[in-house]
Amino acid sequence: MTKPYEVLSLDELDRIPVTEGLEWRPLRRRLGIRAFGTNAYTSERVGGLVVEEHVEGSGHEELYLVVSGRARFTLDGEELDAPAGTIVFLPEHDVKRKAVSEEEGTTVLAVGGWPDKPFEPSQWEWYFESYAHEPERAIEILEDGLRQLGERAWLLYHLACHEALAGRRDDAREHLRRAIELDPRAAERARDDEDLAGIEP
Amino acid sequence: MSRWASAHLSELERRDEWIPIRHHFGVRAVGINAFKGDSTGDQLITEHREDWRLHEELYVVLEGHATFRIDGEEVDAPARTIVYVREPSAKRSAVAKEADTVVLAVGGEPGAAFVPSDYELTWPYSDPAFKHYRAGRYSEAAQTLREGLAEFPDSAGLRYNLACFSALAGDRETALAELAEAIRREPRFRESARSDDDFASLRDDPGFNELLD
Repeated sequence: MTKPYEVLSLDELDRIPVTEGLEWRPLRRRLGIRAFGTNAYTSERVGGLVVEEHVEGSGHEELYLVVSGRARFTLDGEELDAPAGTIVFLPEHDVKRKAVSEEEGTTVLAVGGWPDKPFEPSQWEWYFESYAHEPERAIEILEDGLRQLGERAWLLYHLACHEALAGRRDDAREHLRRAIELDPRAAERARDDEDLAGIEP
Repeated sequence: MSRWASAHLSELERRDEWIPIRHHFGVRAVGINAFKGDSTGDQLITEHREDWRLHEELYVVLEGHATFRIDGEEVDAPARTIVYVREPSAKRSAVAKEADTVVLAVGGEPGAAFVPSDYELTWPYSDPAFKHYRAGRYSEAAQTLREGLAEFPDSAGLRYNLACFSALAGDRETALAELAEAIRREPRFRESARSDDDFASLRDDPGFNELLD
């Protein structure tokens, strides 16, 4: 029987290196939260990313809370000093946002979802994690994502990448083909992706 | 209009222990608030269940040190503790174990778009009404909630409290009518009324007991 509640410390969350000092601390997945998206991000070094530069392709509104340390946000080119306790709210999904750590160990908590429809976990949670593992484990992670979310273009795309790296070229070709059917932007991405060298959908 | 907004937690309006983050920013996708206890022993999270709206709730201790109680079990929660209550029917509460403890609360119903809670929307009426109530001015408290109902006629919470204040003011007819309407809209209020001392004057009233059956 599932326990009605769970307790853990922010410091016990996994650390999955992503880019430029950014460590993703998967919170939603760890607890199996289903009503909203939430994750923490840490950089142990000054100048490292705590929010990767992006717009919210999902259409989510997002709220960031600086839990510890100090961050410097850049929001549509405008800078914001954000000591611990600062909340940054972005109702518009297409604001280009980024944040870097101004102190060692800065941690930012992100909470997001759609204003008018039920939450569904984002594909990136699975493919971010997959790149922290060898191809065979990465493939299992992406297959889990496909079981949970159903057929999704970017899960299939990254599955194809790992299959190509694992030498499963036929599987990679088939999954890349299906990814492109679901989202034609995958074809453009595949052209420059070294993981998919020699894989023709 | 700016495409983003920011504020430090310490700059936000306080509603007693409640720091209404969702209301301040106009967040629409999720329920999000913080609660601050200025002194040791202050109530941070009032004892409640979430089964009436099926929310799962995530609590994060941002500062200080809290003690949670969930379904009778005590949980020690220093800063950076995350408490995730996935079961809406779990009874939960939290108090500050240190001065200046701050807890963030995030919630929503899985599989449903978020809808703000009644108590958030009706606060501008509930707050002054409860000030009258605490001062023993029950008729004034009831009148304030009547004004609130003119703006929020679907609020079961306002109706329940109007029933309470009316009972205390000796207005039996209004108390029974509003309690009946509150229970019709949200059956959880039946259980609340069974143990609510505000209805002490109606305990032997057949009409009141009929509503509780």
